[in-house]
Amino acid sequence: MSFGSPYFTLPEFTYHKPKTLREALELLEKYGDEAKVMAGGVGLIPFMKERLISPTHVIDIKEIAELKKLEYKKGEGLTIGATITFSELEKYQLLKEKYRALYQAVKLASDNIIRNRATLIGNICEAIPWVDGPIPLIAYGAEVEIKSLDEVRRTPVADFIKGPVEIDLKPGEIVTSIHLPDIPEEAKSGFLKFNTGSEFALLNIAAYLLITAKKKDVRLVYGAISSKPARALEAEKILLRDGDLNALISMAAIKASEELEVISDVLASEDYRRHLIKILTMKLLKELVEEV
Amino acid sequence: MVHKLSLIVNGIKRTVEVKDNEILLDVLRDKLKIKSLKAACWRGECGLCTVLLNGKLVKSCLVLAVEVDGSEIITVEGLVKDGELSPIQRAFIEHGAFQCGFCTPAFVLASHQLLIENPNPSEEEIKEKLGGIICRCGTYLEIIKAIKSASRFYQKK
Ligand SMILES: Cc1cc2nc3c(=O)[nH]c(=O)nc-3n(C[C@H](O)[C@H](O)[C@H](O)COP(=O)(O)OP(=O)(O)OC[C@H]3O[C@@H](n4cnc5c(N)ncnc54)[C@H](O)[C@@H]3O)c2cc1C
Ligand code: FES
Ligand code: FES
Repeated sequence: MSFGSPYFTLPEFTYHKPKTLREALELLEKYGDEAKVMAGGVGLIPFMKERLISPTHVIDIKEIAELKKLEYKKGEGLTIGATITFSELEKYQLLKEKYRALYQAVKLASDNIIRNRATLIGNICEAIPWVDGPIPLIAYGAEVEIKSLDEVRRTPVADFIKGPVEIDLKPGEIVTSIHLPDIPEEAKSGFLKFNTGSEFALLNIAAYLLITAKKKDVRLVYGAISSKPARALEAEKILLRDGDLNALISMAAIKASEELEVISDVLASEDYRRHLIKILTMKLLKELVEEV
Repeated sequence: MVHKLSLIVNGIKRTVEVKDNEILLDVLRDKLKIKSLKAACWRGECGLCTVLLNGKLVKSCLVLAVEVDGSEIITVEGLVKDGELSPIQRAFIEHGAFQCGFCTPAFVLASHQLLIENPNPSEEEIKEKLGGIICRCGTYLEIIKAIKSASRFYQKK
């Protein structure tokens, strides 16, 4: 079926299916940068078909029970393991109730057949500038847990993604889970994605909003606008001010459209993306505020 | 390395030898001769290579064959019982829910699975659940009609 084209076949590699995390880490230690972890394979396999990467060892983590974790603890937050798929997250009632922005992003990521295999952690490890997973995670201040044979470390998702297909992961390391902090009952969050026809977002945005008499906390995160997800820090500050919330939202939306670094590409010009930032910020924040 | 896989494909035990880098789609089509599976994009976009793998729809162009040793696979061929077409297959014929037919095996299989999981889907739910498969002839409206008309057979079960 290959019609003689390499793009339909895979380069040669050795397949491994470790049963425990320890076994996987030993394999990663042994093969170093010749090895790649495979979760759903939805991102890895097309990349290998196109010869963008050609690992000589593929380490399938699907059967590692320790990575199949999906657990919420009050006061601590939500832990999502490395083999949890988008479909599993979609069915997880707590996500819909508590982490709405992530739930909405999960529902809009690709299609429901792909979601049966694709994992959230694979999505952030891909670090393609238009993917949806990282945007709500950064809005919640989520962290990734990374393990190697001799170290465990945690790093915010915002720092983990360094640029297009570039992540803070050394040979021998694996991402074991994502941790979302617990959020107050009064907090609101949401996600919007603007795409035309294909799944490539021209803009995706997540907002986290906590506005009470005692405490204010706001995060606005944007994807698909430049090499990595970005927060609109000046716009966030506007929303922390006292005053008429609707007026502040309009000001913040304009500020966000001006302050962010935005690229032009074949999908949309810089001007068009800035326009989208303004409109979608306004739409998302108004929706969240009306719920309050 | 050559791996000897044993699978249950459409209810029949099959064994097949594969290398580490072989794709499930190619193994099913070329080695096990399941020709209902089509390959059009090879990268997860079109859905025409969709199979039921252990009860879940997956796009077989993005699955390694070695991964699925011991699994159960169902394709549209597996919906025929004792030479009789299943209700969803009959509904596709009654409603002319295809033109060239290239996408039909995938749509029939995914529609069947949709109705098993949700015997009374709304139009929105149908669109959402079939959103990963592309019909280049644009017969979506007829497909939706076919699913709605077949749904009563799944409700009785
Ligand atoms: C048709 C199609 C449509 C899509 N549409 C969307 C969309 O709308 N929105 C969106 O956000 N995404 C979309 N995607 C991308 C898709 O969501 C990601 O490719 C997927 O989530 C990757 O997850 P995976 O488990 O398949 O990762 P894999 O393919 O297994 O891995 C991807 C990369 O991450 C690495 N990796 C995976 N897990 C780990 C780990 N635990 N530790 C270290 N490294 C790891 C792998 O080595 C590899 O480099 C689409 C993909 C396809 C094919
Ligand atoms: S050939 Fe698999 S999705 Fe297109
Ligand atoms: S009937 Fe031709 S692709 Fe669907």
